[in-house]
Amino acid sequence: MSAAGRAARAMPGLLRVGFAEVATYRAEMVIWFLTSTMPLVMLLVWDRVAEGGPVSGQDQASLARYFTTTLVVRQLTGAWVVWELNAQIRTGRLSAGLLRPVHPLAAMAAEHLAALPMRVVVLGPMVGLIGLWRPDALGLPEPAMLALLLPSLALAWMLHFVVQAAVGCLAFFHEQSLGVWSIVGSLYVVCAGYMFPLSVLPADLAAALRVGPLFSMLGVPVELAAGQLRGGAALGAVALQAAWVGLAALGLAVVWRAGVRRYEAFGA
Amino acid sequence: MIEAVGLGKTYEVPVREPGVWGSLRGLVHRRTLEVHAVQAVDLRVHPGERVGFLGPNGAGKTTTLKMLAGLLVPSRGSARVLGRVPSAREPELLRRITLVMGQKQQLRWDLPPTETFLLNQALYDIPRSVYVHTLGRLVDLLELEPLLQRPVRNLSLGERMKCELAAALLHRPDVLFLDEPTIGLDVRMQVVVRRFIEAWNRETGATVLLTSHYMADIEALCDRIIIIDGGVVVWDGPRADLVRRVAPGRQIRVQTAEAVDLAALARAGGFEGADGAYTRTVRPEDLPAALAQALAALPVVDLSVQETPLEDVLRVLFAREGGPA
Repeated sequence: MSAAGRAARAMPGLLRVGFAEVATYRAEMVIWFLTSTMPLVMLLVWDRVAEGGPVSGQDQASLARYFTTTLVVRQLTGAWVVWELNAQIRTGRLSAGLLRPVHPLAAMAAEHLAALPMRVVVLGPMVGLIGLWRPDALGLPEPAMLALLLPSLALAWMLHFVVQAAVGCLAFFHEQSLGVWSIVGSLYVVCAGYMFPLSVLPADLAAALRVGPLFSMLGVPVELAAGQLRGGAALGAVALQAAWVGLAALGLAVVWRAGVRRYEAFGA
Repeated sequence: MIEAVGLGKTYEVPVREPGVWGSLRGLVHRRTLEVHAVQAVDLRVHPGERVGFLGPNGAGKTTTLKMLAGLLVPSRGSARVLGRVPSAREPELLRRITLVMGQKQQLRWDLPPTETFLLNQALYDIPRSVYVHTLGRLVDLLELEPLLQRPVRNLSLGERMKCELAAALLHRPDVLFLDEPTIGLDVRMQVVVRRFIEAWNRETGATVLLTSHYMADIEALCDRIIIIDGGVVVWDGPRADLVRRVAPGRQIRVQTAEAVDLAALARAGGFEGADGAYTRTVRPEDLPAALAQALAALPVVDLSVQETPLEDVLRVLFAREGGPA
């Protein structure tokens, strides 16, 4: 059986235990959720900015929809594997995962997926409240784009997870993998469309950022869901997401393989 | 079954000088030190054997076990376990081995042990009927029933260790690498774990390679001993042979009615001790005469004769430069 086949067979069990763990850590989950509510703050700021008229073609309604969607997509595509890997490598806890016949990263991915239902439960009321305040903040894209949204969300999550995992693997070589991630995280905030839509940037800069991996991590599904990405451009953006996932997975495989060779099972 | 030829591991350890100046130097000039944790280990363990793997602290026992379990990639030499190279960590091999490290846990801290057991069932793809049967047996042998529904964080160290063992054995591995499985446990729990390992080996025919600083573990479980010192194997053979070769004497222990003076101890043949408890080690052929001498010279109320304890044997062994020839 292939590695993917083994992981797939183990997935129901992994999800079950992952969900039990999420339920145990529900308070931490809510706190984690609250740390990712920057789009709400941005929604209020940009709503005020757009009071005098559309900003770069976006009025209050479209900005409200953009940031509400950003909040949702950020929650659905979030990852924390960089912290988990960093801790496991540095303390030797990774040893337990390495001794099992299913890849440790597959197990960590399952833990992420198991957290999704809880995130949706927390997200639901918050989005409902936004809808009460500004009904035009909620909406769905046209059906064709809606069909693209699911793969786009999945690819955005995969890219986020894989890039975080690759950075987390730097802990095999150096103490500062979290420092590296904080740099990537800062770039994400600015370049992925998290703090502002890329449309407010100069056109050339926005075009450059749109082909970068950070926009594929968040901006593509956000713009798809917000109805700002359509037709061939949407298809191209999703294809680019898939390409970035492939490239990042390749990088992860290289750094993982080299890292495990250096692994010293510290403390274990 | 388990085979190592010239197996060695060298770590590259960063060296940082203390103080501000040291930190600044470290920024521009990263110094590393090579530490040879294991020089070259040769060993062969056959199916179903229970082998004690001993050595002083820092001898390379744990590093060797980690290489044999596939956690560490060797720097030199080769290893094969069940015919496969451990560092390749092929799932087919991982399904058939386990490594238990004392106090290092795979149990989910805030969940009951049952959740980890179910997780391992999924990860090892254990059929439901096998899982139920094996878990039932482990619960019986380790007396786990009262622990199954309590969060791991609420279990004592000994209770956690028992659950760790159960989690590590659910997939019925053919090879058990046990690194200090009784460390930190009280005497009663040590006995429970020891009996369990013996029973499991008898029932399943699993091969056991065991390290422990508690010689009672080794004496109870292992007829064969491999000793590693300075990263190389310095003894490999039956436990009894080791005792006979390194410390072949018999230890006479006497309890006297009252404390005796040095002159009486000398007349008895040269006993050592104080406050009514004295010992003397003699060659086996001198034992009858030595006993008669002790009984004649001392007011003996109790007397026993035993082989030199393994702990003393190892103390003698490790005190010698280069170990046994």
